[in-house]
Amino acid sequence: MEQLINEIKLKLIDTLNLDGMTPEDIGNDAPLFGDEGLGLDSIDVLELIVLLERNYGIRLANPQEGKKVFQSVAVMADYVAANRTK
Amino acid sequence: MRIVCKGRSILTPLGTTVQENFDAVCRGDSALRRYEGMFGVKEPFVASLMDRKEWTREGHTFFDSLVIETARRAVEDAGIDPASPRTAFVLSTIKGNIELIGKQDVTLAASARTLTGAFGNPNPALVVSNACISGLAALLQGHRILCGGGFDHVVVVGCEVQSRFIVTGFQSLKALSEAPCKPFDVHRDGLNLGEAAAAVVLGFGEDGWELVDGAVRNDANHISGPSRTGEGSYKALRYVLRHISAGELAFVNVHGTSTLYNDEMESIAIDRAGLIGVPVNALKGVFGHTMGAAGILESILSMEAVDAGLVLPTRGFSELGVSRPVLVSAETRKTDKKAFIKLLSGFGGVNGALLFGKGGAGC
Amino acid sequence: MLTIKRFAAIPNGADLTGLYRNMAGDYPKFFKMDTACKLGFLLAEQLADEARFVPREDRAVLMFSTHGCLCNDRHYEETVQDFPSPSLFVYTLPNIITGEIAIRNKYEGETSAYVLDRFDPERFCSLIEQAFQDVVTRSAVCGWVECRADDDFTAFAFLVERGGNGKEFNAETIYGTVNQ
Repeated sequence: MEQLINEIKLKLIDTLNLDGMTPEDIGNDAPLFGDEGLGLDSIDVLELIVLLERNYGIRLANPQEGKKVFQSVAVMADYVAANRTK
Repeated sequence: MRIVCKGRSILTPLGTTVQENFDAVCRGDSALRRYEGMFGVKEPFVASLMDRKEWTREGHTFFDSLVIETARRAVEDAGIDPASPRTAFVLSTIKGNIELIGKQDVTLAASARTLTGAFGNPNPALVVSNACISGLAALLQGHRILCGGGFDHVVVVGCEVQSRFIVTGFQSLKALSEAPCKPFDVHRDGLNLGEAAAAVVLGFGEDGWELVDGAVRNDANHISGPSRTGEGSYKALRYVLRHISAGELAFVNVHGTSTLYNDEMESIAIDRAGLIGVPVNALKGVFGHTMGAAGILESILSMEAVDAGLVLPTRGFSELGVSRPVLVSAETRKTDKKAFIKLLSGFGGVNGALLFGKGGAGC
Repeated sequence: MLTIKRFAAIPNGADLTGLYRNMAGDYPKFFKMDTACKLGFLLAEQLADEARFVPREDRAVLMFSTHGCLCNDRHYEETVQDFPSPSLFVYTLPNIITGEIAIRNKYEGETSAYVLDRFDPERFCSLIEQAFQDVVTRSAVCGWVECRADDDFTAFAFLVERGGNGKEFNAETIYGTVNQ
């Protein structure tokens, strides 16, 4: 799981152009959205949906569903582990 | 002298004249169809598309053919000389020939050259590409060019054709509805894209439809999400309402894309501007979102409606689904007012309002 | 009469990330922008005066180019076949540059994007003068941002205002300033 979490962090940094950040800067349970966490917005949610499909073969039809999955890196990793098709 | 509309033209799947399109809207027709595999797009989508074979002229792209044809018809309607150095051209589009990216010069500047070249006009055409308010911004630009001096007429042409590029983009934003769109409705869940071309010839005169004034304002909030307070739309409305009171307006023809946030935002802006008692209608359920053509297409049909003493119906609407009690015109209704406002909003946080009036209304 | 309050230019091929770190550094959204928007953002940072960050309706943002956002259009097109990218698609509109500048600085006035055949000081000047027919507009960020590729661009902008003490804004002063 640690490995998957790290992999997801690297993909987040790359896909969302989080300049200058390293996996260590992102807490496993830190919120990804809102002022507290990484400050991601609605376009980022959509890009994360693409990320899940491209890398793990997971299709999320509804962006609202995404909000739950993308709470934190740890939640994302659990979801990926349970639903990945590749 | 006022700045008035001297010639008009509309090309859509529902008709090739202003009258045909107006009659189709009055009948409650819609050009929205479901397409599968169109443009090589994997997911099916609902859109309003034109017949490419019918409209593509030899030596021109589909987009450029529509632009030239609708401009030609508007120029004929106005009876002006399109080659005159005192005639200017303004082209409104967002993506132009983008479907040919990688195959030829798809800059909007190239389409502008093609347009003026087709009429032997010596002035380089100006392209206004201001997201979904482009058509409205182009009409306002035409008004400004005439006020600025040096020209007798401005031909304002709006056109959009659809492609894999645009459809997949809106799909990636989860902005498309899988059914015909439902402006302002409680069950609305996204927009449909559309193809159309429309043109207006503006000039000086005393009679006919006057383009009174207009404004463009930014939400300064988010590049793809509308302001939660309707900031830009409200400010644009407030600007044109310097000239007229709510009681003199036949209706506000809104953007009404049928996305959750756009329609909600517009309802807030209309309320804040004191227009809650004015009928509101939207035409996206008929033609889809025709992007660069929308501002011109929807303005022309609104003029026709007022001339016929009507507020056009909002196809797709049945139950109010926004937070403010706006008076959405579900069915055709009568009006004796002689002015209307055209409202649009777009990506980049941009919003615009135009005021049209007839016979002194709104002047 | 319109006058020039400030002028800014970015040399072709400049390191935009380096410029960002020097000038701003506090706006991570910068890294999500396409090259044209980055150029617009950096120009507006250089032009910024005391009037920014407080919402104001009297400042317009008017941007001009020949290529629009075509450079980013190519990047988006590359993603279309497999996984169309929403974050690239939102930059496929020529006016997003005006929106990014408006959002950063809280300029709530008019924002407009125009495509011209080439940079022509007379035309540039007359279109900007026409925009000031809007009676609320008191000043405007007016730029030419021509992004041919991510490392090949022409980018400059003026802060123009009604009245003011600067040089008159006309074709001659535009030409002179741009070619300094």
